[in-house]
Amino acid sequence: MLPMRPELLKGHLDALLLAVLEGGPQHGYAVIEALRSGSGGALDLPTGTVYPALHRLERAGLIGSDWETVGGRRRRAYHLTPSGRAALGEQRAIWEQFSTAVTAVLGRQPWPATT
Amino acid sequence: MAGNHLTTQQGQAQLDAYCQDLAARLRGPGRRREQIVAELRDGLDHAVGDGIAHGLTETEAAQAAIAEFGTPDTVADAFAGELATAYARRTIALFILTGPLVGIWWLLLLQPHPWRTGLVALLVAIPVIPLLPIAIVTAAAALATTGRLIRWLLESSPRQALTATIAIAGTVLLADLIVLAVYAGSNVPAQPVAALAITASLLRITCSIITLRHATAIRHGLSATPTHRPV
Repeated sequence: MLPMRPELLKGHLDALLLAVLEGGPQHGYAVIEALRSGSGGALDLPTGTVYPALHRLERAGLIGSDWETVGGRRRRAYHLTPSGRAALGEQRAIWEQFSTAVTAVLGRQPWPATT
Repeated sequence: MAGNHLTTQQGQAQLDAYCQDLAARLRGPGRRREQIVAELRDGLDHAVGDGIAHGLTETEAAQAAIAEFGTPDTVADAFAGELATAYARRTIALFILTGPLVGIWWLLLLQPHPWRTGLVALLVAIPVIPLLPIAIVTAAAALATTGRLIRWLLESSPRQALTATIAIAGTVLLADLIVLAVYAGSNVPAQPVAALAITASLLRITCSIITLRHATAIRHGLSATPTHRPV
């Protein structure tokens, strides 16, 4: 599958990151890998996009983070907060509505000519 | 995911040099910059482990990981907005928290019994008081639109947050200069509390000037790209 252009994800990246963290805490690079593998390679986002987006979600209180030391190296693991879980639910509902509407139009046979 | 710390000395040196280069390009609060570098270093180690698991040599894996993460300039640019916002929030919070520590001495010095003399006499004695609500409202708006409330409020861009920081620092600087001038032109006798008030204001004037310079420089370095609202 061809990678999608990052600008196509504008407005959806936050929901995707929340969805990845729904299964449990993950560190930043694992989040990037989960997006990549979960989308069959379509969501191969630049690292410089994902890490700042995670920081912003933390600032918004939708995710939290904890530092731990693994093998002498500091590691930051992100987790979903209750607000983030609620936001993910809202975003899923919005996406369902949006994708149903877009699919209904894009998947339709060509419109008959009116003249 | 493969092991984390499999790099040779050469690969390790490449990653170290990359992180040092990145650290030198980040602008913002020191603790945040240090966390970003530590976090990316951990991610690079994971990427190197993955590369080795896919058959690359350690050196090749380190090079591939660095290419995947992007040049230090690119990564620093990507974090510039978050660091600018963090700087603005921290600086504004410090101005708010330290404001009473300066104001209390001037109140004790210039108008020690405001409840007896009334509001008009208070404003005459300390004419900078009307500036306080301007600074407080600006600070509250900046903190609200860059923090947890951005889920419901329109988020301020990093440039807007820095502009608010500059406005607050400028207002505070003006207030300190005015109150010092008022004291210099008054006939209030010299007393220990005057030394405290003047010292506090001079310290804050220094902080305000430093803030004005830093915030202006960081804002100048930001791209004009606005941030989008979170989910």
